Amino acid sequence: MLRLLPNSRILSKAIPPVNISYKARECASKAAETVEVFVDDKPVQVQPGSTVLQACAQAGVEIPRFCYHERLSIAGNCRMCLVEVERSPKPVASCAMPVMKGMKIKTDSPITKKAREGVMEFLLVNHPLDCPICDQGGECDLQDQSMNFGSDKSRFTDNQFLGKRAVEDKDIGPLVKTIMTRCIQCTRCVRFANEIAGVSDLGTTGRGNDLQIGTYVEKMFKSELSGNVIDICPVGALTSKPYAFVARPWELRRVDSIDTMDAVGSNIVVCTRGGDIMRILPRIHEGINEEWLADKSRFSYDGLKRQRLTSPMIKDESGNLISVDWETALLRVCDAITSVKGAEIAAIAGGQVDAEALIAMKDLLNKLGSESLNTEEIFPMDGSGTDLRSNYLLNSSIEGIEESDAILLIGCNPRYEAPLLNARIRKAFIHNEIEVGYLGPKIDLSYNYQHLGDTTTSLENIKSSQFYKEHLSKAKKPMIILGSSALQRADGTAVFAKTQQISNELKEAGSSWRVLNVLQRVASQVAALDIGYRPGVENVRNNKPKVLFLLHADNETVRREDLGKDCVVIYQGSHGDQGALMADIVLPGAAYTEKEGTYVNTEGRAQRTLVAVNPPGLARNDWRITRALSEMIGQPLSYDNTNEIRDRLAEMSPNLVKFDTVEEANYFKQSEELFKDIKEKIKQDSFSLPMIQLKDYFMTDPITRASPTMAQCVKANNKEA
Amino acid sequence: MASLKVVNFLQVLSQRSLIRSFHASNQHFVDIIHRPVTLSGDKNKITINNTEDISVISGVPEEHIKERRVRIFVPPKNAMQSGTHGSKTWRLEFDTRERWENPLMGWSSTGDPLSNTHVEFSSKEDAAAFCEKNGWKYQIDERNWLQTRPKSYGANFSWNKRTRIGSK
Amino acid sequence: MSKYLEKLRNCRLAIKQNGGIIGAYLQLFRTDELKYGNHIGTDKYGNKYYENKSYFVARSRWIDYAPKYGYDFDGSQVPADWHRWLHYMTDDPPTKVKPCPDREWMTDHEENLSGTTGQYVPYSTVTPKIHSWNPPKNN
Repeated sequence: MLRLLPNSRILSKAIPPVNISYKARECASKAAETVEVFVDDKPVQVQPGSTVLQACAQAGVEIPRFCYHERLSIAGNCRMCLVEVERSPKPVASCAMPVMKGMKIKTDSPITKKAREGVMEFLLVNHPLDCPICDQGGECDLQDQSMNFGSDKSRFTDNQFLGKRAVEDKDIGPLVKTIMTRCIQCTRCVRFANEIAGVSDLGTTGRGNDLQIGTYVEKMFKSELSGNVIDICPVGALTSKPYAFVARPWELRRVDSIDTMDAVGSNIVVCTRGGDIMRILPRIHEGINEEWLADKSRFSYDGLKRQRLTSPMIKDESGNLISVDWETALLRVCDAITSVKGAEIAAIAGGQVDAEALIAMKDLLNKLGSESLNTEEIFPMDGSGTDLRSNYLLNSSIEGIEESDAILLIGCNPRYEAPLLNARIRKAFIHNEIEVGYLGPKIDLSYNYQHLGDTTTSLENIKSSQFYKEHLSKAKKPMIILGSSALQRADGTAVFAKTQQISNELKEAGSSWRVLNVLQRVASQVAALDIGYRPGVENVRNNKPKVLFLLHADNETVRREDLGKDCVVIYQGSHGDQGALMADIVLPGAAYTEKEGTYVNTEGRAQRTLVAVNPPGLARNDWRITRALSEMIGQPLSYDNTNEIRDRLAEMSPNLVKFDTVEEANYFKQSEELFKDIKEKIKQDSFSLPMIQLKDYFMTDPITRASPTMAQCVKANNKEA
Repeated sequence: MASLKVVNFLQVLSQRSLIRSFHASNQHFVDIIHRPVTLSGDKNKITINNTEDISVISGVPEEHIKERRVRIFVPPKNAMQSGTHGSKTWRLEFDTRERWENPLMGWSSTGDPLSNTHVEFSSKEDAAAFCEKNGWKYQIDERNWLQTRPKSYGANFSWNKRTRIGSK
Repeated sequence: MSKYLEKLRNCRLAIKQNGGIIGAYLQLFRTDELKYGNHIGTDKYGNKYYENKSYFVARSRWIDYAPKYGYDFDGSQVPADWHRWLHYMTDDPPTKVKPCPDREWMTDHEENLSGTTGQYVPYSTVTPKIHSWNPPKNN
């Protein structure tokens, strides 16, 4: 009997067909725009330099593949994409072969089929038959492709009971589970770690049959993007640890939604089963998150099931919070509100509030005669403040990073404040050869940057720096990204004014390129500023309101000691966290997966979440709570359903309902004029960052603080360090 | 209500073959009731505006016509797999309603008859027309096209580029 | 003539067995039936079992429920060992041939409690999916 060894590995270090590829380049340079090739006799015009696989995709023919991934470099080692090309002596690996003019590709010929069957046979010889207990089962590329392209019979016989290849499992942290025997050595994870995440933790050891993927020594895969290797793994070698043995893909309902863990607004798919969130996957959006998702967004969903507020609560005589029904709680709120003057009511909005809840709260407080609506995040209000939208947006958009040719980061750590934006900068760094300058404490950004100092003095003297002279001032499309944490400083106005001045000087006359970008840290901030909330809680501290609404505000920006003794604190939110601890009345609201809410990301792109599951227990959608309250007070708000409140949002700011479009804002000149009166000076000290290391990244908001998985991540990181 | 009465009246009129008449010419009925009818120059010819609304006679409860929100979208490619099947046609999806745990067996229950409805269309206009016909409010999510850039195997080995990352 | 005499005799025997005229009246009121027969045995709950082969099969074996049940007697009050004799699965009553030896693990017979306060109410054994927040107590 023929014992088949996976000698496809012999082929695995694919030798690039040098002569042919040169020819292709010559042809490409001569040809005008596109090259004509024939895929199964169907003519297609493709860009010169594309691969055969890309040409086939353009023709609508999907070539089976394992190692090839659109967003990673070409490896060419799985050999599954072999196709027949006319006048080529052997089948070619379509993922690595560049197209040539007039190439005739046969994707369905007997030779192609035989090649695929052969490769599949080799792969399956050493792949365990544990599909029934494998978490990838049902969404496994190997499963699907062996059904479609594999042989219908097996020649694998193990007469000597030698068994299949077995590889020891690796422990690479609390998020990714490894079952290395299932690995087919496509090296997608290795390439992801090296190219996208910028962490060279993963690699291969050994050759041929002994080739293994691993971390060389046992250590954690320390990346904020580590969850993505689960997605790109075509088999079940890398699966999700929290999701292990939990559900099957065909049982899940998929709801498209938006992530609110950071201000990037990644597109996600919330997978639910029986009213229970099972996992969160990324949803492809080229403008925002491409195909990736940060770990906090992907794994913190178990925080949505812990420490939830499931019924309204009020304080009894002894000062303990007790559960009551909605009527009692709202009546208590009514009493509190009607016994004080309108101006003595204030509200603070946290980082994960949807625009609907924000506007309902604003309308209610305005009706009662209060203007004190604040957000937890600070933004300088002097000069043009938040009046001009271009002041607080990432104006050149996330996609714009790829067009840019030099980037200056000031006082931010995009790697942990916005991991996907950082991945985009890294992509531009690798593929567009851009230069990155950085002002702030020395950190690992996963790409090389020129460190321009960590003090504000360096910002003032930026023009004398080498980076400014050589790269920024010469760049056609320079970008300056100012972190929100730099604006939290006492001299935030001066820092902002200085940054604005620098960026306006860099701006080329007549170009529509926008240099100044502000990177927000929380999901609700842009919408809150659009609606007209006042950033920062100074107002509340100074005026000592009698009634204070905390709308998902859990960051302890205001403590009980800062408020008057007679102040009634009403917390409305999803989790029992800092806000609920200091509250007199607790109203249970919905988390982002439980309501249809609008969130505006740091670019100014309005997106909406959809209801994946219902709010638990008596918890309700936030704006509906405010609506019910307004009815009880006797000042009913004018909207009753989602469509009507969206109309109100449109009235306030039309961009809030133009979903998935980036509304341009370009008023830098005017803004600078307004900032000229500012006499404030920048204080001489160093920039500080709240998130320096990976362990600082995981627990930042009520959802992640309630999540056991996130706690494990912090623990594992502490152990590693 | 008034229009329902008219429908009832018409039902009585055509009682003999009620079902057939409704299947054969329901557009006619609805249009006569709801749509402005314009008489053209030719007296025998009646032009009827061809937007139709079958929600009055479709038998769907009012709650599931007026309260439902429909989303029209193209499903994205599954991030877990490399295949693109199922991400090519436009699809229609209703808002998620409550699910609860069945007290007897702990199974998941729902009272929403439309929650498993997936209707596929070749274009968003078709989907929108279908929603209008059924009287549902809808929202269209624009399609997210994948962007590709030409890739080359040689980039892995180019000596002066950053694409040469020591991997493997 | 003898036909009528026999009927009379049966009637007299039945009245006699059920405790005189008043007893027979109460028995008739309780069970809508008046029979006489051999007392085969009594189970541990106080139900009495009778047999009279002169009635046709299916009516020839019957139970007189224990007085403690009053008017709330029910078919499920028959224990399993007598059930098989009562339903003609066997001709040997458990007093004569025990269907199986007594075992330590055998539990008492339990009647069907549906419709009473003791009835079985299904409950979810699924662990709660959402953990509510418990506010800390002051004292």
